[in-house]
Amino acid sequence: MFGKKNRSTDNNGMDKNKNSKNKKNNKNNNNDKNNNNDKNNNNDKNNKKNNNNKKNNNKYSNLFLSKSLEDNITLFETIFSDDEMFVTRRFQNKYLNKAKCCVMYFEGMVNNNILNENIIQPVLNNNLAEEINTRNLFEELQYKVIVSNNLKILNDLDKIVSSVTYGNTIFLLEGYDKVMLIDSKGWQTRSISEPESAKVIRGPREGFTESITINITLIRRKIKNSDMKFKFKEIGYRTRTKTCICYIEGLALESIVNELERRLDNMEIDAILDSGYIQEYIKDEPFSPFETIGASERPDVIAAKLLEGRVALFVDGSPFVLTVPFVLAEAIQSNEDYYNNYIYSTINRIIRMFSTIFAISIPSLFLAVTTYHQEMLPTQLLLSIAASREGVPFPTVLSIIIMLLIFDIIREAGTRMPSPVGETVNIVGTLVLGQAAVEARLVSAPVVIVTALTGILTLMNKNLIAPCMIIRFVLILLTSIMGIYGFVFGYIALIIHIMSIRSFGIPYTLGITSLRNHDGQDIWIRAPWWTMTLRPKIIGAKNLIRQSMKRSRRQ
Amino acid sequence: MLILIFFFSYSILAAGCWNYKEIDQLSVVAGVAIDKGIHKKFSITVELVEVVSGKEQQTKSKTVTVEGKTIFEAIRNEISLIGNKSYWGHAKVLIISEEIARKGILEVIDLFNRDAETRSDMQILVSKGRSAREILEAKGLTEEVTSFELDEIIINEGSVSNAPLIEVWRFTNTLATEGVGTIAGVVDLKEENGKCRPYVMGTAIFRNDKLLGFIDGDESKYMLFVQNKLNGGVLFEEIKGKDEDMSVALEIFKSHTKINPIINDGNIEMQIKVEVTAAINELGGTINVIEDDEREGLVRTAEELLKNRIEDIIKKVQKLYGVDIFGFGIKIKANYNKEWKLLNGNWEDNFKKLKINVETKVNIKNSGMLSKPLEIGD
Repeated sequence: MFGKKNRSTDNNGMDKNKNSKNKKNNKNNNNDKNNNNDKNNNNDKNNKKNNNNKKNNNKYSNLFLSKSLEDNITLFETIFSDDEMFVTRRFQNKYLNKAKCCVMYFEGMVNNNILNENIIQPVLNNNLAEEINTRNLFEELQYKVIVSNNLKILNDLDKIVSSVTYGNTIFLLEGYDKVMLIDSKGWQTRSISEPESAKVIRGPREGFTESITINITLIRRKIKNSDMKFKFKEIGYRTRTKTCICYIEGLALESIVNELERRLDNMEIDAILDSGYIQEYIKDEPFSPFETIGASERPDVIAAKLLEGRVALFVDGSPFVLTVPFVLAEAIQSNEDYYNNYIYSTINRIIRMFSTIFAISIPSLFLAVTTYHQEMLPTQLLLSIAASREGVPFPTVLSIIIMLLIFDIIREAGTRMPSPVGETVNIVGTLVLGQAAVEARLVSAPVVIVTALTGILTLMNKNLIAPCMIIRFVLILLTSIMGIYGFVFGYIALIIHIMSIRSFGIPYTLGITSLRNHDGQDIWIRAPWWTMTLRPKIIGAKNLIRQSMKRSRRQ
Repeated sequence: MLILIFFFSYSILAAGCWNYKEIDQLSVVAGVAIDKGIHKKFSITVELVEVVSGKEQQTKSKTVTVEGKTIFEAIRNEISLIGNKSYWGHAKVLIISEEIARKGILEVIDLFNRDAETRSDMQILVSKGRSAREILEAKGLTEEVTSFELDEIIINEGSVSNAPLIEVWRFTNTLATEGVGTIAGVVDLKEENGKCRPYVMGTAIFRNDKLLGFIDGDESKYMLFVQNKLNGGVLFEEIKGKDEDMSVALEIFKSHTKINPIINDGNIEMQIKVEVTAAINELGGTINVIEDDEREGLVRTAEELLKNRIEDIIKKVQKLYGVDIFGFGIKIKANYNKEWKLLNGNWEDNFKKLKINVETKVNIKNSGMLSKPLEIGD
């Protein structure tokens, strides 16, 4: 269902778009045939969407601002009726009776100081009758009286309403059917702190917050360049969540930017509370456990990805910024790799890479070797495994599956526990389930070792926990039926699946399969910075050269 | 789609846990001994490993003897004795009694080559003068499982060179090759403190698959010299000095043998060149053989001794058995194919008449941690 919808909307978007590059991209994205049915469906959907939009607009379309101040006040008070946080403050200039004004705002959303000192006080106290031209009062107030760095004049009710709910102040003046929207946002935000989800030993300690403006500042402070482009969009017809597509012009491929915009435009959702909603909505492979859209809480990571030609998507209210395209290799890259010595980083990266491979294969290989291919074990190991299994009632498959499930239960239980309770979970997990289960001969000791090892290896790459978990169980099931053949079949299927995934037209396995030129230098290893003169292929195709080979070291 | 899923899962599930067996339900076979049966043709004794788990894991073994018309029948009959199907993937040794070996062992080793579970790298041993069963039932000195002990003995035999290392596959290969005779290691029991311990020493010589006779451990060493399979061992010699006689032991580090057939007046002569690198490992007296001049003498005696021993063993085999266990035939075939075709028809007689010419060279590498003999001060 989901996939079909995405695909069909894809086609439509591309039909409209006559950009040849885009068409190419589209081809990459959708190898599926253009189905007539799909198109029809799609048209229906579009109509529906338009209807929806109309409905939305209808809400205020029969309401208009009038020239009377009181009428306008009533208008807004009806719009925000039954909302006691909505404040209306009428005031008048001391010297000019004609200047009857009113500010309206939401309590708590605005900075009261700005309101008092920069709006109300100047309008109240200045001798407007002498100082300004009273005939064109509205413009004169804007230019000469009100102290504000960000101010808009509007008469579109829809925009006014969404703006005032976001913390701006409405300024109304008697005799004008338009509104001055003054930026007075003053709500509390969380301070910038190191993200819990991605701590580093070496590297910047900043993390994104829930405020999109602060997040964008964090990026702009890192890349001081006029090529940085920010395109805002509102998504979610109830939450009206601000999102921002960010990319570096001249590095990011237009086709990817356009494709992202198109997918966002096609979203029909009423609420967005975290970037995860969007991540799932616009994902390339809706049924795959692999993520094709990256998310990070760290400005340095996002900046680095922008500089490689990727496109970022900020979502208000979420400290997780999305990046597209996202390839598999990114899941095992860590930002700290680039700040530490490259030899050390390479070792770490290889460890991470193999830990993921082992995390999915160790339990099934153990199973295959102990239940099907005992000749593959060294004799001594065979005997000691056989000894530890003595008296264990359950088959090895069952005990491995149960122990792995228990591990996942403990992990899930520990994740959201307050730390004192978390310790209890630890003790129960290690002592009761590990040691006691072996002593009571419910499982054999090697199974516990395999489970613990698998668990640790899985947790090494937090980006790949979900795929690891799912693939692991599939492989165990296949192995339990067919032995090592099953394992090999499963692995082949897995590789075919990974190879078939595209993220915004970019092959998911980009760089992994090739070691030519500069392809593998940031995938399997982390090459020294002075040798990484090229950006990753395809993603950075627009401007491949990153830097020169020269090192500024001692001559 | 649903039908596809059905067929896919059906084909997987119908495969039905092919070959699934839990590790603790296996009766692991460590080794097998084959004797002549009383009622049926073969009597096979299987050594099964038993693991007793507890606070300390113990490995024990038990032996089971069954009879059968063929080896496979005997193995299957064994199920009704031990309950489990035995697992042959870890079997290490195959001991064949002299009696069976003299009749021919082709029908014995066929199964071990053919079956998927047995390994073709099991060691073949011939029990000299005893039934093979006795050897499996004797307890080893270090290991609880006799077969594992025998396996270890044979593998470590390299530094003694008293017996050849012959696996089932090697035996089968040699059997099929023309121009080389088949051999196998010999196992026997030695009484020690009232207990019988198995030990491996000597070589059994076969004509095709039938046992002809044995040569002892020391002779096996010189046979291995000729075969260029010697990896280590000891060269022992007596030195005659002015005042005293002294025994010297040389440790062999490296040995390389080159066999060249040469045609001399229409007769083929085997030229055997042996080059040995050794070190003085033990001096039984105070004669200084390490100094340059004296060492010359030591080397000469060693070369002489090596040459004599090698000639002795070749002559013995030629005279007694007439089986080309050294692989001279292969060398002739490789170098003089035309002549080989003439010789091949009656190779055994030709081998008996074959002239040999042995040249030896000994290099002394060092004299261990001491550069002098021990001194006696008055």
